[in-house]
Amino acid sequence: MATMAQPDGRRPNVPSAGNRLPAIENYEQVDREIIGTLKPTLGWFALLGGAILALLIGAGSWTYQIHEGLGAAGYHPPVMWGVYIISFVFWVGIGHAGTLISAILYLFRAGFRTTIYRASEAMTVFAVMTAGLFPILHLGRPWKFFWLIPYPNWRLIWPNPKSPLVWDVFAILTYLTVSATFFYIGLIPDIAVLRDQETNPIRKRIFATLALGWRNSDTEWRHFTRAYLFLAAFATPLVLSVHSVVSFDFAMSLVPGWHATIFPPYFVAGAIFSGIGMVFTIIIPIRKFMKLEHYVTINDLDAAAKLCLFTSCVVGLAYLTEFQVAWMSGNRVEQEYFWNRVFGQWAWAAWIMLICNMVLPISLFSQKLRRNTTWLFILSLFINLGMWFERFVIVVPSLSHEFEPWQWGGYRPTWVDFGILLGSFGWFFMWFLLFIRQLPVMAIAEIKEILPPKMKHSHDRTHDLDAVTIDPTLTSGGH
Amino acid sequence: MQGVIGAFSELDSTVHAIEELRKQNFNDIAVFSPTPRHELDEALAAKTSAVRRFTLVGGLLGVTFGYWVPIWISDYWPIVVGGKPIASWVPYTIIGFELMVLIGSLSTVFGMFALARLPRLTLTVGYDPRFSHGHFGVWVNAGPDRAPQAADVLRKMGAEEVRNER
Repeated sequence: MATMAQPDGRRPNVPSAGNRLPAIENYEQVDREIIGTLKPTLGWFALLGGAILALLIGAGSWTYQIHEGLGAAGYHPPVMWGVYIISFVFWVGIGHAGTLISAILYLFRAGFRTTIYRASEAMTVFAVMTAGLFPILHLGRPWKFFWLIPYPNWRLIWPNPKSPLVWDVFAILTYLTVSATFFYIGLIPDIAVLRDQETNPIRKRIFATLALGWRNSDTEWRHFTRAYLFLAAFATPLVLSVHSVVSFDFAMSLVPGWHATIFPPYFVAGAIFSGIGMVFTIIIPIRKFMKLEHYVTINDLDAAAKLCLFTSCVVGLAYLTEFQVAWMSGNRVEQEYFWNRVFGQWAWAAWIMLICNMVLPISLFSQKLRRNTTWLFILSLFINLGMWFERFVIVVPSLSHEFEPWQWGGYRPTWVDFGILLGSFGWFFMWFLLFIRQLPVMAIAEIKEILPPKMKHSHDRTHDLDAVTIDPTLTSGGH
Repeated sequence: MQGVIGAFSELDSTVHAIEELRKQNFNDIAVFSPTPRHELDEALAAKTSAVRRFTLVGGLLGVTFGYWVPIWISDYWPIVVGGKPIASWVPYTIIGFELMVLIGSLSTVFGMFALARLPRLTLTVGYDPRFSHGHFGVWVNAGPDRAPQAADVLRKMGAEEVRNER
């Protein structure tokens, strides 16, 4: 890890490491431009209307399913897990990149995260809120979902703590709570900025309540930065654990294709990869339409694209390792299953997955394409598609091709499945769109931290730790 | 509370003002800044935040509770599978870990709120909206006898505005 060259041994400002925003001159400009993005536009209303319509379609489909029973959702033996579990894993995965960017890259002092982390963190919270719906949606009696939580009850019945589904409850609820807390804590100083700038009395009152009386004092900042650091330190192993636990839903069984020790790292890498795909999908239009290109610079996108390329390589390696393990296992069931996955019944889905997740991201080896926002946006759509199909390829082919030939079958999602899937996108984007016009989409206080502060004596750099840069000769910790 | 508040637009002037005030034995100083700056912490010789103690205690309580819940459940309703332990700590580590993170994080936030005295219903005397925008504020707690001296220091060090507050 890079060592900071500190002539006087003092600490650097964390988010400033290796990042500069030359087009931004002072703190006032940051407030003006970021608060300026909060005015709703016609296009925003149109998108919000579209998202709400999609949500209503999803709600209608669910109502129909509750009335008709789970058969309406295309479940047929032997495939009793379908679009809902696929979408659950997909949405949990989307959330992971947000925590990676906001917490892990914070600990690693990666400067490029500063301008994109707020949007990514919001994406995490809303994606986990979306994911949390799916286990409930696929219950026959969804109103009894709380039976999974161990709480004292008059039936004296407790959930089985050895079941991966119970681990899931703990992991997802913890993830949702911690990521939402982390998100809100980070927002408090920025809400205080909104409170101080707002002229509308009603909005001012709302912001004042949400800012909790924050007044930017040194005591507040000191405890805030410390708490933020510890939350990041908690969120880092949490994000790795959550998708590992999700992968245990599969890996703890004996089903061919699922019963594999590679699953936790494979799921975590896939989650981060898919999440970065979604980050590109949302951040590229945001920087273009909100005119924030000088905040999320092309260098930041380039750095995120490298992360995308890296995780794509990890995911690709995991795909190939699965085939190799099946080949070398000597287990006929496993071998037949993998053959069926790529050349048989599910070849179409497997090839969508392989092309979108392994082949197309190779283009990111080219710097020219990494710095081309149009290509990054198009690629991100392919990644989203590919990662949804990755979960399809994990869930459906295994269940449809288990041990005995009489167990083999097919799966065809119905309009109810697609309606609910569409509804989940509506739910996610509804929250996200509401967020971007109500609260700052970029962390105002942290961007100010990157900027060189106003100085009376411009030659006096002793109090400006931004003048300190990373010295590459000190990175290896001695020769 | 009685005292003097000075608004600065430059960081170095703010730091010099704090240093000068401390030299003149003004020790009850609060600084308002739009963004956290270590320079200010160092000028104030601030102690490290005690939030970490809340984190440690919360994390330890969480992990203990997280192991206790499934062990208690297994003991209350034993599921006997030949030769296997009724309460098996390996899978319970997942629940232990998750609750460590959950309770540890929440107690960190609680610690931050308690130490920073949040939420507060009123902004303190002297707070100015400029301090979240682009200015640095230095508040000196001083009675009527020493307030003029503090105001002089602030002015001399380049404060754009100095106000007596009571």
